[in-house]
Amino acid sequence: MHEHSSEQELKDRLSVIESMIAEGRRRTESWGWTFVLWGLAYYVALAWSVWGHSAWAWPATMLTAVIVTVIVASRKGGNHPETTLGRAIGSIWIALGVSMFALFLALGLSGRLTDPHLFLAVVSAILGMANGASALILRWKSQFVCAVVWWVAAVATCFGTGTQSTIVFVVAIFLCQIVFGIYGMIAEGQERKGSAPIHA
Amino acid sequence: MPDLPELNPVVHGRLRLALLSLLSSVEEAEFTWLRAKTEASDGNLGAQLLKLEEAGYVAVEKKFVLRKPQTLYRITEAGRQALTEYVQALKQLLGAAIGT
Repeated sequence: MHEHSSEQELKDRLSVIESMIAEGRRRTESWGWTFVLWGLAYYVALAWSVWGHSAWAWPATMLTAVIVTVIVASRKGGNHPETTLGRAIGSIWIALGVSMFALFLALGLSGRLTDPHLFLAVVSAILGMANGASALILRWKSQFVCAVVWWVAAVATCFGTGTQSTIVFVVAIFLCQIVFGIYGMIAEGQERKGSAPIHA
Repeated sequence: MPDLPELNPVVHGRLRLALLSLLSSVEEAEFTWLRAKTEASDGNLGAQLLKLEEAGYVAVEKKFVLRKPQTLYRITEAGRQALTEYVQALKQLLGAAIGT
């Protein structure tokens, strides 16, 4: 067969293999919207707890965000196949959600969630852990920057005043959820534009 | 000069190669997802998948999810092996082409 295959044709086949494998593995960027959604959810919960003084601000907002995420993901994900990589990344975020929800609900119900610095520091550290693990698996530098921002925020919220800690948390949410989420959505859109049809 | 390898004609077809490459990167995939990724027509896609199935490179599973029919494709061990060998042969041929 190679006698009939030009160098250009061989290069084309190699490019088909590379692009299709990349296409199959492409998944994380299509989750950019979840970063934005959860960033907004954190803002709502924070504002509700600060100005509304409600103990239900965080659990109610987080539960709503979970429901919205599940509904939108099931519609958006559609028939996308499962990959080992996707399951690894997904399991990090599911484990994070379960851990945070169980921990903070228990602390809230037991009346031991009295120090807002500790709350913000733990949330920031856990988000740093999840972003860091995901970034290391995906070898995604921009997500690792987010992890570093969350870790810095976790440390900073331990030392600042109440207002300073809240400002640090708000800035970290903006950079690592809103900005990073929009960046992910733009990256996904650009990748989609670059794909071309395959013919037999 | 060493003998140049032959390219597997079943794998060499552009759409079949794209399908095998896609399936090598996921655990299993629906027909509709493969169609969306390759932008091939239903008829062409079905025909190429059938060729891959006949060669033993792809396994098919048909089932109903929420009363909707679903056709799932998965690359077999033989398919993965054929793709690996094809890539090695391709690299060898390209190396030879650049060398000449």
